[in-house]
Amino acid sequence: MNLLGISINHRTASVELREALHLSEEEIRNFIQMTKDKAFAEGIVISTCNRTEIYAIPKSNNTNLKDLEDLIKNYKSSFEVKEENFQHFISRESIEHLFRVACGIDSLLIGDNQIFKQVKDSFQISEEMGFAGVLIRRVMDAATRVGKRAINETAISEGAVTVSYAAVQLVEKIFSNLQKKSALIIGTGETGEIAAKHLRDRGIGRLALTNRSFDKAEKLAAELNTAVFPFSNFKEHLYKFDIVVSATSSENLILTKADIEDAMKKRNYASMVLMDIAVPRDIDPESKKIDYVFYHDIDSLNIIVEQNLSKRKNEIPKVEKIIQDELDNFFEWYNSLEAAPTIKTLRDLFESVRAEEVEKNINKFSEDDKEKLEIITKRIINKILHHPTIELRKMSESDLRIEDTAAKIAIIRDLFGLNKKED
Amino acid sequence: MIPSIHTINILLPLFYIATFAIYFYDFQQGGKKFENSKRLFLFITLILHFLYLVLRTIEFNHPPITNVFEIFTVLAFAISFSYFILELVTDIRGTGPFIIIISIIFQIISSFFIQDLTEVKEVLRSNLLGIHVISALIGYAGITISAVYGVLYLILYNELKLNKFGLIFNRLPSLEILERLSSIAAIIGFVFLTFTIVIGIIWLPKAFPDISFLDPKLIGTFAVWILYGIGLINKFMGKWRGKKLIILSILGFTLAILSTMLTNFLAKSFHSFY
Repeated sequence: MNLLGISINHRTASVELREALHLSEEEIRNFIQMTKDKAFAEGIVISTCNRTEIYAIPKSNNTNLKDLEDLIKNYKSSFEVKEENFQHFISRESIEHLFRVACGIDSLLIGDNQIFKQVKDSFQISEEMGFAGVLIRRVMDAATRVGKRAINETAISEGAVTVSYAAVQLVEKIFSNLQKKSALIIGTGETGEIAAKHLRDRGIGRLALTNRSFDKAEKLAAELNTAVFPFSNFKEHLYKFDIVVSATSSENLILTKADIEDAMKKRNYASMVLMDIAVPRDIDPESKKIDYVFYHDIDSLNIIVEQNLSKRKNEIPKVEKIIQDELDNFFEWYNSLEAAPTIKTLRDLFESVRAEEVEKNINKFSEDDKEKLEIITKRIINKILHHPTIELRKMSESDLRIEDTAAKIAIIRDLFGLNKKED
Repeated sequence: MIPSIHTINILLPLFYIATFAIYFYDFQQGGKKFENSKRLFLFITLILHFLYLVLRTIEFNHPPITNVFEIFTVLAFAISFSYFILELVTDIRGTGPFIIIISIIFQIISSFFIQDLTEVKEVLRSNLLGIHVISALIGYAGITISAVYGVLYLILYNELKLNKFGLIFNRLPSLEILERLSSIAAIIGFVFLTFTIVIGIIWLPKAFPDISFLDPKLIGTFAVWILYGIGLINKFMGKWRGKKLIILSILGFTLAILSTMLTNFLAKSFHSFY
């Protein structure tokens, strides 16, 4: 199978280059339009912040990986891309790599399941652009199956592997229902914003923000539809919150042990979680000595992240096994797309239908007619199958590319349900 | 029937140990492999145990509540059965090993020392006594489960405070859930203990005309009841929560166990029947 694949990813290129080669949805559509009119019959283009990958089946057997490389180089000609920035794949390797990408084991964050959705979205674009043929559809069906099986049959995507998610995981070990809880985010920089969005996504009951620059906090608050407290007096409201996430760039402590003690007294010592994800720290670590105060800083959250990453790494062999299973299944199907076995299976199918119907109705005929019935029905089947058989033979003997022949045979097999019959 | 009773008596600890092993394996691995089969295994163990209790009742012509070893086997059943119901209702499946191990302890002691008593004192054949003992056992199962969840709460609380993110952190439900489970079990325990005491007060003067209300068992039971009562009143008034209530629950359970052991093995109490 002449499926070519190239990949620029976190192992082969710097973040600057990856960013430079990133293709927006519009760029992907333009790229496909340009590509499908030139050298490639079908394919898929995947572009995320960590990778840009192109898989395509060439129209001519003379088209190779270099041509595929040149396409992206010309498309993003303002950036210098070297040979070593590419990973190359042909045939089985291409499909195997795509499977690895789809299930997240090739990701920077092992088991990242966002990539699964991104791969499916990329396929959707190919479909819409008429760039997904029989083979790519079948490859993507298998890739989707790999992704789903990896999630359902292994723990490859379990556990938090980012500090923000680890913070949420920790909070969920203390509180059972975030909908009944309130959270305050101190500092609305990138980290604070991510934490706020995670908490909102987890259904936090009430969310509020505070920031030294009130305008910035207000802007994020408008986006997230949350309350904002002026930084000058947020401590007065501290006791109202079950979760406090601090992520400012302050050089000094923002909350002292006394501030926390004061808030806890007002809360009648109801549990309070303090997530200090700032460096240097914003909250006095001594606060952890207060009863029902659960103080965690970036180091403790990193412990959770490392543990989960290690567990995910241990799951890789199980995922590899799934990939090999699905690769074998795919190639079993692909190898069935040869003319001779398809002719035989098609004839067997027609013969079985004929024989079944004859058997059901044989008693309606006289002894003399029974033999004639056999002969006539066989002749009908032979006549019906004569033309398709000749055409299938021609296909295999012509100069058509193997992918084109396979695509046509795949349609015939699907139409007559020949794959199901063999299963 | 007696050989069957003896066989089940030997099998029961083994069944509980096997159930515990499956629950523990699942807890340690954190997988979902035995999620449903472990529950089924517990169910089979409970069926076998129930059959054992019924057979004993029929064969020896009295419910198995006439001595401490009979009571231990009923208690083992009550604890695991209560957990089974709790697991069905809450669908929290990760805490099984910590409860089932309590049943194992009670069942092993019972299996070793239980006797085939056909003759029991007439006083032990009262219907009121039956209700009294069953109610007491449900109450004790409640406070046992409450104490186990209490201990789990304290362990998880300390692990969270000390930034230890091991097996306990990964497998147990949240602190709030553990506190709630402990509270629900304590409330059930308290309600049944109250009922037990009321029945006892009605039945005692009839069964023992010369009873002293200074009996160590009575004092022990009242102390446990008062302890839980204080805790629950403060909880509902919103004054106490978390660790304070949990420690009280564990203290109550310890007191209940000590009271039972002392009255049955050491002190001369009307509750020592043999």
